[in-house]
Amino acid sequence: MKPRLASAAVRLLVLQGSMNHERLQGIGAAVAIEPLIRDLDGGQNGQRYRAALARSAGFFNTNPYLAGVAIGAVARAEHSGAPLRQVETLRSAIKGPLGSLGDRLIWTGVLPVCASIGLVCATLVHPLVAVAAYLLAFNAVNVAVRWWGLRAGWRSGIAVAAMLSQSVLRRAVKFVGPLAVLSIGVALPVAAEMLTANFDTSVRVGTAGVALATAATSWFLMPSVGAARVGILALGSVLVLGWIW
Amino acid sequence: MSLELVRVDDRLIHGQVVVGWGQVLNPDLFVVVDDEVAQNEWEQEIYRMGVLATQEVEFTSVSDAAESVERWANSSCRTIVLVSDIDSLTRLCEAAPTIRRVNLGGVHHERDRRLHLPYLFLDDREVDQLLALAERGLEISAQDLPTAARVNLEDLL
Repeated sequence: MKPRLASAAVRLLVLQGSMNHERLQGIGAAVAIEPLIRDLDGGQNGQRYRAALARSAGFFNTNPYLAGVAIGAVARAEHSGAPLRQVETLRSAIKGPLGSLGDRLIWTGVLPVCASIGLVCATLVHPLVAVAAYLLAFNAVNVAVRWWGLRAGWRSGIAVAAMLSQSVLRRAVKFVGPLAVLSIGVALPVAAEMLTANFDTSVRVGTAGVALATAATSWFLMPSVGAARVGILALGSVLVLGWIW
Repeated sequence: MSLELVRVDDRLIHGQVVVGWGQVLNPDLFVVVDDEVAQNEWEQEIYRMGVLATQEVEFTSVSDAAESVERWANSSCRTIVLVSDIDSLTRLCEAAPTIRRVNLGGVHHERDRRLHLPYLFLDDREVDQLLALAERGLEISAQDLPTAARVNLEDLL
C-alpha cells in the first residue's frame, strides 16, 4: 500500500497545535504519524496500530521544519518490524540532533537570509513587495524542507543517521550560516541608512552608542535579566536619552 | 577552565545545546554521559548528526566519565558535558569533585515528577538528590538558554 505521505505532511503543519509543557509536541507528532501507521497489521482496531499511536504521543521536541524526518523514520521502523525498544530509542534519540540541525538551518540560516531580503526590498523597492518577497522566500524553503524531510525519513527508517550524514541537508547547514551573516551585513546598513535619513548626527551617534553599550553588556545582563528585557531596556534608554536631549 | 558547562538535559544533543550554548561557549567537544547510549553504537551515530563538522562527540558511561572529568578540565579542548538525568548527575558529581557548577537544562515530565519550571520536572527523590549535592558545595542553577534568566536551586524548589 502506498504510504499516505501527503496526509502526514499536511498534518505536520499543526505539529505544535497542542504544545504543552508536559509533552511539548507529543500529541502533534501522534496526529502527524497517524496516516502512516494506519495500515499496520490489524488496521485501526489492531493492537499494533494502537500501541504505535500511543508511543508516538509521548514527550517529543524537535525543530518543527525537520520533524518530518523523525515522523517518517519512526513510521517506517514501526512497519519494518524493528524491535520495540529500537523504535522507542529511535524516536527519543533522533529528535535532539534533528532539532540542532533544524535550528541551524532555519533559525540561524534561512530565516535571517529571508528577513534580509525583506529588509532590502522594503528599503529599495516597496514595503508590500518586501512582505511578499519575505513570505514567498521563507515558505518556499519551509514547504520544500518539510516535504523532503518526511520522504527522506520514510525512505531510511532506522538507518536515518546514515541517510542524514550523506544528505544535502548536512551540506546546506554548512553554507547557510555564513550566507546568513553576509546577508545581514548587507541588509542592516541599507535599512539603517533609510531609517535614519532624516536624523541629525547627534541622534545617529546616540543611537549607535546605546546599541554598542547594549551589545557589550548583554552577556553579563542576559542571564539575570533575560534577552527580551535587555532589548526593551535598550529601546527605553534611547527614548529617555532623546527626550532629555 | 575548559570544562565549559556541565548540563543535565534528557534530550542530550539538541538545538538549545548546540546552537544556543554552542554559540556563546564555542565548544570543541561534547561529552554525552549516559550508561545506555554508551553501549549503543547505532544510537551514538544518531546523536553525532547534531553537532557541527568541527566538533567532536564522546560517549561514556557515568563511571568512566567520573575518571575522565579531570582530563577534560585540564585539556585545552573546550568541553560541554551532557548528563541525561539527576541520578547520573549525582553519581558523577559524587565521584568527580572537580565539578563545581551544574546547569539544569531539561528534565521533562514523567510520572510523579512535578513542574518547577516549564523545562524542569522533578520528583521528590530528585529534589532530595539535588539538595544533597548543593549541601556538598555544588553550585546548581537552572537555565535553558544563555539568553534566559538563570534560576538558582533554592529559588526554584
